[in-house]
Amino acid sequence: MNKKFNKLPSRFSKFAASLMLVTSVFATPILSTSAMADEKIPRLTNGKPDFSGIWQTTSAADYDLEPHSNRKDAPPGAGIVEGNTIPYLPKALEQKKKNFENRATDDPSLKGWTLGVPRGVYYPEPIQIFQRPRDLTVVHQFGHSVRTIHTNNTQHPVIDDASDLWLGDSRGKWEGDTLVVDVTQFNDKTWLDRAGNFHSDALHVVERWKLLDANTIEYKATLEDAKVYSRPWNISAILHRHREKNFQLIEDYRYTLDFEQYYPPKPDKK
Amino acid sequence: MNNKISHWNLGMSSLILGAISFAPVVGNAADEAKTQQLQGKTEQVQQAQPAQQTRARRPREKSFPKIASGKWTGPRLPDGQPDISGQWSNTIANHGNFEDPQGGVIGEPNRDGTPRRDPGPRDARAPSRVSDPADGRVPFQPWALEKVKDFRIGFHNPTYPGHIEPNARCAPGGVPKSLYWHGYDIQQYPGYVLFVFDNGSRIIHLDEKKPHLSENIKLWNGDSRGHWEGNTLIVDVANHNGKALFGRSGEFISENGTVKEKYIFSNDGTRYNYEAVFTDPTVYTRPFTVTIPASKWTNADETDGWNLEAHWAKHDGKEKILEHNERICYENNGGFGLGAAAEQKK
Repeated sequence: MNKKFNKLPSRFSKFAASLMLVTSVFATPILSTSAMADEKIPRLTNGKPDFSGIWQTTSAADYDLEPHSNRKDAPPGAGIVEGNTIPYLPKALEQKKKNFENRATDDPSLKGWTLGVPRGVYYPEPIQIFQRPRDLTVVHQFGHSVRTIHTNNTQHPVIDDASDLWLGDSRGKWEGDTLVVDVTQFNDKTWLDRAGNFHSDALHVVERWKLLDANTIEYKATLEDAKVYSRPWNISAILHRHREKNFQLIEDYRYTLDFEQYYPPKPDKK
Repeated sequence: MNNKISHWNLGMSSLILGAISFAPVVGNAADEAKTQQLQGKTEQVQQAQPAQQTRARRPREKSFPKIASGKWTGPRLPDGQPDISGQWSNTIANHGNFEDPQGGVIGEPNRDGTPRRDPGPRDARAPSRVSDPADGRVPFQPWALEKVKDFRIGFHNPTYPGHIEPNARCAPGGVPKSLYWHGYDIQQYPGYVLFVFDNGSRIIHLDEKKPHLSENIKLWNGDSRGHWEGNTLIVDVANHNGKALFGRSGEFISENGTVKEKYIFSNDGTRYNYEAVFTDPTVYTRPFTVTIPASKWTNADETDGWNLEAHWAKHDGKEKILEHNERICYENNGGFGLGAAAEQKK
């Protein structure tokens, strides 16, 4: 194979060499812009992108996933639903409207209950992700719920309906640098936002987590639920890393506020 | 007005922990009876679930070895921490009785109302969780001891909301009770040790230059800063809200208290002893030391529904991998969460 090169005239080979040198000097930045961005993404020792850290969205998604003007209980938002409208089946749309009218009492987050998936991701309180090769552990400041995303090539367990889960069962796999998480086995007790958007226990969510840079996560999810929506639909939100000095999660249990004043015992007043 | 609230109705007998089977292996007879009520209600994972009848259960310990603080010769994580991650649980008893852990709940009658039989000589059972002072008693100030005694009576005949043990309300277990309730997961990461309990979690920050939260903030699980010294994880706990209590015998710390913990691990990684000094000049006459032994549960163990609430992972390989059931309590709680919501709708 080397014989071909040996036969080239020396002038041509020198020209070719210098052309290659010039091209490579200019080509490196162009070809590697994405590579350079990749180099800035933190990674685990196994090379996978490392989502560890404390994150929070600045979007108004939790107030209402769909575009909306301001309300007494919500700022305006452009919405995070692709195509703007959630494709409810007709009966489900009636239920959604009822939820919306009764949101001041019926929103389960008012009781401090687990937000579920995906609401826990875009709720306006920080989440801390702890990551190791076998799994990601997501601790939500609100309710201090803990969600495990298994990344060890395991599958959804076989369980019956009585064991439907508040946070679903999450199994993640890597597609390049994107973490694709399949979530099933939900119960129907959580809402998707404060506006009463909801799901049934047939909900199936596929999430795509991707680091755009060291301090930014692009979060996308496809939701399908044959009992509630006429077709799958997508949302997309950005999470920002908390970089304030000494930032940490602080417990936020709401349901304990109903009874915590009785503990611990106090000295009697004299 | 009749304020009588029965703890049988409220939380104890109807406490449902989602997919978790509530079968205490180290509970007293009353717990066992409640367990049988619950078995029918809780659901199990069907896939290759170890049969309940054949579950191997570790016997409760009546004594345990002291582990000396010193070098760690076991495996390490890439960041240098001793690798002790996994499922852990205490080896003695649940939160029924702090100073006589295997002595049963104080004043508890049998279910048929007959008085409990004499539990026998004290030294035949596991020692008090109070390892100092030598008498094994929490050195309460007189006012605090009166409150503890009041709780022990009120626990069986509650006339005041503060007589309900907070676990029944799915409140976080707090410090130290979380370490002797159900089993829990210890997970390690650069800069953090994470404890995941059935109720609540603790994030131990390994950066001790990070100051504690302001004293205005009080937390069920406190605010923790720690570091490793050889085989020992040393943790400083502040911002304690004192609300979880220490268990059904009513002992407590207040929001003025602090805890200095040591988790001393054996070099084979199978055990650790928790030795912690509790200080609170508004409640105690002097600081005292709490000692709690724990052992590790692994994929070689059978889940027993209390120390280890897990199921086998489904995967294409042959390796047996234990996965913990979802840890969500309040929302499933028959007495408070879903049960209360159902009551309201009636």
